[in-house]
Amino acid sequence: MDKLYGYVGKIARINLTDSTVAFISTSDYVPKYIGGRSICNKIFWDEVKPGTKAFDPENKIIYMTGPTTATGIPTGGRTVFTSIAPNSFPEQYAWSGIGGWFGAEVKFAGFDGFILEGKAPEPTYLYIEDGEIKFLSARNLWGKLVHDTQRKLEEIHGKDVKSIVIGPAGENLMRNASVTTSNDNVAAKAGLGAVFGSKNLKAITVRGAGVVVPADIKKVLELRLKMSHPAMIPRPVINETEHGLPGATTIVEGGWQRAQVACSHGCNQHCMCLMLDMKSAFSEEKVNHVEKCVSPLAFNMTIDVPYGGPGGPGGTFQTEQNHYPACKMLSREVDPPDTSDPYFEQEFAPAPSDILNYWKHDFDKGSIINDLCNEYGIDKWDVIIWLLPWLAMGKNEGVFDDIDFGMEIDVESEKFIRYLLDMIVYRKGYYGNLLAEGMARAIRTLGKEKFGNTIYHGRYSRILDKQIDIPISLEGAWGHTVHWQGRGFQGSIAKPAWVATNLHQMNATRDSQTIQHHHDTFEHYLELKDDPCRSPLTAKAVVMGENMAEIKDSVTCCDWQSPNLFWPEMEAEMFSAATGIPMTKEELLNVGERSRLLYRAIMINHSGRNRQMEVNEIFAIMQYPDPWGETVTWDEWNDLVDLYYAERGWDKETGWPAREVYERLGLDEIADELAESGKCR
Amino acid sequence: MEDNEKNQRSFGRHIVQTSSDISFCAGCNACGIVCSLVHDGVVGPSYNRIFMEKGTQSMVTVIHTCQQCADHPCYEACARKDQAMCLDENGTVFINDDFCIGCKRCIKACVFDPPRINYVKSTDKTKRKAKKCDLCHTRLEGPACVQYCQVSCLKLS
Ligand code: SF4
Ligand code: SF4
Ligand code: SF4
Repeated sequence: MDKLYGYVGKIARINLTDSTVAFISTSDYVPKYIGGRSICNKIFWDEVKPGTKAFDPENKIIYMTGPTTATGIPTGGRTVFTSIAPNSFPEQYAWSGIGGWFGAEVKFAGFDGFILEGKAPEPTYLYIEDGEIKFLSARNLWGKLVHDTQRKLEEIHGKDVKSIVIGPAGENLMRNASVTTSNDNVAAKAGLGAVFGSKNLKAITVRGAGVVVPADIKKVLELRLKMSHPAMIPRPVINETEHGLPGATTIVEGGWQRAQVACSHGCNQHCMCLMLDMKSAFSEEKVNHVEKCVSPLAFNMTIDVPYGGPGGPGGTFQTEQNHYPACKMLSREVDPPDTSDPYFEQEFAPAPSDILNYWKHDFDKGSIINDLCNEYGIDKWDVIIWLLPWLAMGKNEGVFDDIDFGMEIDVESEKFIRYLLDMIVYRKGYYGNLLAEGMARAIRTLGKEKFGNTIYHGRYSRILDKQIDIPISLEGAWGHTVHWQGRGFQGSIAKPAWVATNLHQMNATRDSQTIQHHHDTFEHYLELKDDPCRSPLTAKAVVMGENMAEIKDSVTCCDWQSPNLFWPEMEAEMFSAATGIPMTKEELLNVGERSRLLYRAIMINHSGRNRQMEVNEIFAIMQYPDPWGETVTWDEWNDLVDLYYAERGWDKETGWPAREVYERLGLDEIADELAESGKCR
Repeated sequence: MEDNEKNQRSFGRHIVQTSSDISFCAGCNACGIVCSLVHDGVVGPSYNRIFMEKGTQSMVTVIHTCQQCADHPCYEACARKDQAMCLDENGTVFINDDFCIGCKRCIKACVFDPPRINYVKSTDKTKRKAKKCDLCHTRLEGPACVQYCQVSCLKLS
């Protein structure tokens, strides 16, 4: 192949066992697999054997940038890891995205990605500079907190290096440990921090003086202007007196200051709110805190997210006029709604939220929870949406009466939260060790009936005006807690939105919502709303969302930018501008579907995934009522799964894709391999 | 450079960052990215002519730009003055790449820390070049960094 624009051309195979490096040409994969998750999936399929466990040296971490990374195309700074994920239950192949400046620097240093394999004989970090990869001792870094590690690496190698590091949680194989950039971008969902830890890999530090050359500069500049929606208007530092969710804010003593910052190289989105002068968990010094969507949840969990309308929070069903990306409403990142939209009234009709009463609001405590998670390197979502509510709800119901954690459970107390996280991160005592295994595993060891399924009586539906039951453990599927699934926190979304989200989760191996918030058009909503489980439109939108998620993580772009249902060519334009390779939206959808199909093949081959397993896994959470008292019946759910499999071309009985599907996408050899073990007909 | 010394110098028109009560720099790098794209057609840290100092954990970004010093010490120091380092009719110091031999004298002469001139390293000596803000003086739309700063926090002084 001629010069690859957009890419830098090389992937490094880094063997930690014997400190060797080999190089693979990116053009071995492009353009059939275009980057990010699509290349990761292919490498994983080719290289990792079924039966591999997350912490085996044979497990590999595959990290890939995308063709737009460091080209100046907005949101291209996002990159992806894949591996067998310790935080999924059971352990399964999963992915984890990360923003920040690391990915761009990897390309400036001459690599499109790397494959981390084996296990270093002692604590190690990698130092990568302009094509050269060194294995250095991390003895002096092991045990350090995330930001101390980042600072130390900058002291050693200079301020302009970019690092990803793990904290003590990763070192101690806490199953939901994250990998973290200096500005607290994390790859957290799959628990890959613990895979780093299992490989004795503390950090990767990179510096590059090289260049990335996009093919069509005029187009790159045009995209920079066009993609800046919602408008990036001047955002001064704003003095605020309160913080939290609309209708449920916390008064901040002395006030606080808010500014907005971009999360990754060349990004056009304000996806982070910079909170100046926050209380810090580990020093007296006031620190700045970068808030992501999970943060307001740390400050106030007395009520559910109160955004409403039939689309539910995050703009699940969009109109052309009110095209606002998922979750951005939480961080107040959207333009004011266009009231001339004919569907405005319906779209924005307020839906009252639930009263949850997990814990009271306290700005400093919220800040400390976030800071602890950041510094230890833990997935905040797991802590804030699952662990702490579980303790609060379980205590309320008396399930912990016979348990001695060594300190009285009190989620209102900063002291208790510090004690608890310290105990878990450092695996202190029986319960520290147990909870470090993650909530799904810990609850099963303790006894799921009592410690998972016991009903919490403190939740009230403001829609039905009555007490409404949820379990004390907000487990969704595959060892992950709920996320826009109509139950527990973020429960106030209407059935058409949550059935779709649950279908997304059913087909994943981890919480999928951070890269595939459900999207559909409002016209579709009007057609499917009365019977969402029986509408092929629900299945179609889920298939689109899943394929788009592969595209997002491959091109790369972010979930706040993509998909734009009213600019469907956007990702193809981004790809072509970066690489010069012509790509229509249909062709790109094939790339997305191919990547998704490979992911499916890996799930089938490694985890024995099939229909029965999947339906059973997700059905339980939907048996608890949403704030409208709605659930799904077995028949309703199975009808929707039928529609989804039909839309995919997968066998209804097994959930396995038909041979024709593999062949249509040029994956004949995958079909052959699966057929050998009877998993493709 | 000490503040009082800086205050005594006089500067030409240059790119400035607005104060944070008007617009807060998002720290996105767009200014540096478009700068190198419009000049060299590449994205890379050694090609941009506008510099971000990002508080690594604080995320507060300070933008450093060439001040177009009235006495232009970088221009004076250039081994190929008027060929490599040149002055235009407005007193803007700019580099003509074709003649730049990458000797780094201008970088050493820059009165600021960090110097406001970037440098492209290469094993091929002919490709070693200094890169400096020329206020996009040949660009019809004016400075690219100002045009593409998505929060309008850059302007021409
Ligand atoms: S490069 Fe430095 S010395 Fe030269 S004009 Fe700019 S600020 Fe002054
Ligand atoms: S004015 Fe032009 S040359 Fe100067 S920093 Fe801005 S984009 Fe670069
Ligand atoms: S483009 Fe604007 S917001 Fe972005 S880094 Fe430059 S000055 Fe800051």
